[in-house]
Amino acid sequence: MSINDATVAVTEELAARDDMIICEGVDKWYGDFQALKGVSATIKEREVVVVLGPSGSGKSTWIRCINRLEQHQGGRIIVDGVELTNDTRNIEKIRSEVGMVFQQFNLFPHLTVRDNITLAPIWARKKPRAEAEALATQLLERVGIPEQADKFPGQLSGGQQQRVAIARALAMEPRVMLFDEPTSALDPEMIKEVLDVMKDLARGGMTMIVVTHEMGFAREVADRIIFMESGEIVETGTPEHFFTSPEEDRTKLFLSQIL
Amino acid sequence: METTQLDTQTTTESNVAVRPEEPSLPPLEWMQRNLFGGGQGSIWAVARSSALTIVFTLLGLFAYQQLLNFIFSEETDWNSVRVNLRLLFTQAYPESDYHRVWISLGLVLILSGVGLGLMKVGQGISMKKIATWCVGWGGLVVLGVFLRQPSVLVGDDGTPLLADADGVPLARDGLGTLVYLDGSPAPSQGLSVVRESYGDAIASRSGWLLIGLVLIGLAAAIWFGLGDKRRRSTFLPAIPFSLAGIGALISTTWWYNWGNYTFSADEETGVSGFNFEPGVKVAETTRNPWTIMFVVLVGAYLLGRRLRGSAFEPRLKGLLTLGWFLAPFITFFAILRGPEFDWGYVAAVDVPLWLAFGIGGAALMWVLTKPGIGELGRVLAVLVLAIAAFTWIAAFFGWFGMLQKVRLSFLLLGLAALLAPNFIGEARQRLTLVYGWIGTITVFHVMVTIINTPSSIEVPTEDFAGGFMVSIYVTVFTLLFSFPFGVLLALARTSRLPIFRLLATIYIESFRGVPLITMLFFFTVFVNLFLPKGMELALLAAVTIAFVLFSAAYLAENVRGGLQAVRRGQYEASDALGLTTVQRTGFIVLPQGLRVSIPPLVGQAIATYKETSLLAIVGVFDFLRMARDIIPNQPEFLGERKPALLFICVVYFVGAYAMSKYSQRLEKNLGVGER
Repeated sequence: MSINDATVAVTEELAARDDMIICEGVDKWYGDFQALKGVSATIKEREVVVVLGPSGSGKSTWIRCINRLEQHQGGRIIVDGVELTNDTRNIEKIRSEVGMVFQQFNLFPHLTVRDNITLAPIWARKKPRAEAEALATQLLERVGIPEQADKFPGQLSGGQQQRVAIARALAMEPRVMLFDEPTSALDPEMIKEVLDVMKDLARGGMTMIVVTHEMGFAREVADRIIFMESGEIVETGTPEHFFTSPEEDRTKLFLSQIL
Repeated sequence: METTQLDTQTTTESNVAVRPEEPSLPPLEWMQRNLFGGGQGSIWAVARSSALTIVFTLLGLFAYQQLLNFIFSEETDWNSVRVNLRLLFTQAYPESDYHRVWISLGLVLILSGVGLGLMKVGQGISMKKIATWCVGWGGLVVLGVFLRQPSVLVGDDGTPLLADADGVPLARDGLGTLVYLDGSPAPSQGLSVVRESYGDAIASRSGWLLIGLVLIGLAAAIWFGLGDKRRRSTFLPAIPFSLAGIGALISTTWWYNWGNYTFSADEETGVSGFNFEPGVKVAETTRNPWTIMFVVLVGAYLLGRRLRGSAFEPRLKGLLTLGWFLAPFITFFAILRGPEFDWGYVAAVDVPLWLAFGIGGAALMWVLTKPGIGELGRVLAVLVLAIAAFTWIAAFFGWFGMLQKVRLSFLLLGLAALLAPNFIGEARQRLTLVYGWIGTITVFHVMVTIINTPSSIEVPTEDFAGGFMVSIYVTVFTLLFSFPFGVLLALARTSRLPIFRLLATIYIESFRGVPLITMLFFFTVFVNLFLPKGMELALLAAVTIAFVLFSAAYLAENVRGGLQAVRRGQYEASDALGLTTVQRTGFIVLPQGLRVSIPPLVGQAIATYKETSLLAIVGVFDFLRMARDIIPNQPEFLGERKPALLFICVVYFVGAYAMSKYSQRLEKNLGVGER
C-alpha cells in the first residue's frame, strides 16, 4: 500500500491491526559484553515508537538488529511475519520492507542526490528508471528540497542531507522506518526541518521506531515510548504516562537529568 | 578597496568571484624573501638561507653545464640517434608495411583528439604562468649560451685541432703525423684539443642568445603590459595552445632545413651505411605522415569540441571508452601484424561457431531474463558454467579435441548467465543484456580469429614489434589485464569468505616477494616446460603474462588501501537499502575506493611503464636494448652508447610525466561533489 493514503487517527486503528515487529528475548553480545539482555517488544502497524535511554543503553543496537545490520545471538525477531534468520532470502525480504535513517546520513558521496534515491529502487526493486526518477522527484518534493536533485551530497547542508537520506529510504516503499538518532549530528537550526519531515511521515501512518534525544518530538509524535538502560527495556508507556508519572526509579533519574 | 574578509565568507554559487589574492611581489622582493631569508630578522637566518641558495644554485648550474657540454660536444655523435630513430621506435619493422604503424598511431590520435575535445574546459593557462615559463626557459637558454664551454676547433679534414701542453697549436703533415706549424716534430703526450675563444663562442651562438632574449622579452611584455590582476585573470585555452605549438613544430618540416638522415642497407651485398645530408628538408616519408597525423588530431579534437554538450555526447563517451579498450588489440593484432586469413577456414569454422554462440547465447539470455524465471534461471546458469568447467577438465585429461575458442566461449556464456538475474525486467532491460552478449561474443570471436592467424609481417627477429613500440604495448596490455585482476584480488582479500581471503593473500604476498626480473626469467624459460605438448608461449606473451601477474599483486594492495578508506556507514546504508553484495561492491564501494586509489594506481602504472625496460635483459628487442646493445654494435656507431641512452631517458620521461599530469587532472575532475 502507498504510504500516502491513510490519514485515519492512528490510535483507534491500533488494536485492529496485525503486529508489525515482534521481538522476543533478543540477546546480543559484543565479545563478552552483553549489549541486549532479553529485549521483548511488539510494534503494531502504524505505530510510532520512540526509544529513549542514556548512551550505551543498547537503543541503536536493538534497532540495528531489526534489519540485520547487527546479528542477534538469542531470541527471535519477526518482521511482518518473516523471521530474521541466517537465510539470506529472509534478510533480503526484511531489508526491502524496512527503511533506515542513520545518524551520519551515510549518503553516497559519489552519486547525485537523484542517483542516491533511485539506485536501490532500480537495482534492488527492478523498477524502470523513468518510474524510479518520477518517484525520486515526488519524494524530494515531499521532504522539501526538489531543487537539489542534481547536486552531490557534499554540496548540501546537514539538514538537507538527512532529508535526502529519508527520501532515499522511502524510495524503497518500506512498511517500517527505523531512525537511528537522525538529528544528533545536526546543527540546532537544522534539527527542526528534519523533525518536520518525520512528523509528516508519522501523520501519514508510517510504522516508525525512532531512537532520539529530542524529547519534544517524543512527546508530540510518539504513540509509545520505550525506555532502555543497560541493554534492557526498563519502562514502556504513552508519552503522557512516561513524562508525567514514570514508575521506575531509573526512568525518573534519566528524566531528571535530561529535562 | 572595500573587499575585506566579508568577501571570503560568501561561498554561494551566485558569487563566482575568486578569493581575493595577495598581490604578487615584485621579483626582487620575491627573491629577497624566498631565497635569501629576508624578513626573517636574524642575521643567521639570512646567512643560512643565502648560503643554501648559493650552494644549490652552483650545483644546479654545474650539472646544467655538464649536460650542455655533452649534448653539444663535437664528440657526441647524435647521428647515431637521428639515423636510428626508426630502429629505436619500431625495430626492423619493414618499410613497405610502415603505413600500418601510421594507421595505428592515427587511430590512437583520433581517440585522444575526440577525448580532448569532449573534456571539460578548465580555466586554461594564465598569462602570469606563461610569463613565468617564458622567463624560465629564456633564462635557461641565455644561461646555457654563457655556460657551455667553447667549441672545439676542427680542421679541414674534420678532425679536431690539437695543441701541446703549452697550448702551441699543432698541425698534420702530409703523412698525417702531428708536427708543429714550423714542421718540427710534436710531442706525443700532453696534447689537448684547441677551443675557440670565449668571445667567438658567444658570437657563434648568437642565434640561441636571440631566442633566449626574445623569450625573456615576451615575458617582460606580458608582465609589464598587463597589470597584476589582468595577467592573473587572462587565460589562454590550454589545449588549443598546445595544439598550436605542436602544429608550429610540425610546420617547420615544410620550410626549415633540418637535414635528412637515412640508413641504407644494401640487401644483396649486406653493406649498410648511413647518409647524412645537412641543409635539406626532411624526407617526405617523415614529413607527410606527421602532417597527416596532426591534421587527424586537430580534426578529431574539433569533432569532439563540436559534439560536446550535444545529445550524442553520452553515447560518444561510451564509444570512446570501448575504443580505448579495443585499440590495443586492434592496432597490435589486426593492423601491425597484418594477419593472413585463410578465408576457407574462416567460412567453414570461425563464422559458424560465431553464429552458433551468438544466436544460441542471445536466446539463452532472453530466456534467463524472463520475469519470474526464479530458481530455474540459477540452475541454467550453473549448468552452463558446469559445461564450461567440463570442457576445461576434458582438455586437461585430453579426452576430446576442441578449439580453445569454444572453451572460452562457454566460459563467457556462463559468466553472462550469472549476470542475467540483474537484467530481469521489461523488454528494454532484457534486450540490453542480449545486445551486450552479441557485441561481446562478436568482438571476442573476431579478436581470437585474428590472433590465431599468422602474421604477414616479416622481420629478422621472432617478434614483429620491437623498440619503443613493444615497450608501449607491453605497458598497455599489462595495465589492461592487471587492473581488473588486481581489483578482483583486492576484493577477494577483503572478502568475508576465508577461502578467497587466504588465496588472495597467498598470491599477493608471494608475487610481491619475488623480484620482477626473476619472474620474467621464470616465464620466458620455465613456463614452456610446463605447458602441454604442442602449446608454446611466444616470448612477448610470456613476458606480458609475467608483468600482468606481478603488477596485479601491487595494484591489489593499492586498491585494498582505497577500499579500506570507504567508511563503514556506506556498507550499512547499501545493506539497509537491500542492495546485494555485488551491487554494493560495484556501485558504492569500488567507485569510492578506486577514487582514493588513483594516485598510487597511477604511480603503479608509471612504474610498469618504466619497468618494461627490463625486457632488454630477457631478450626482447625493446627500447632500451636498441639504445644499449644494437646501436653501439652498428659498424658506423661502434661503441656510441651515450646519445641514444640520453635520448631514451627523455622519451621515457615525457611519457611518465604525461601520465602523472593526466592523473592530476583525473583526480581534480573526480573530486567533484566530494568535500
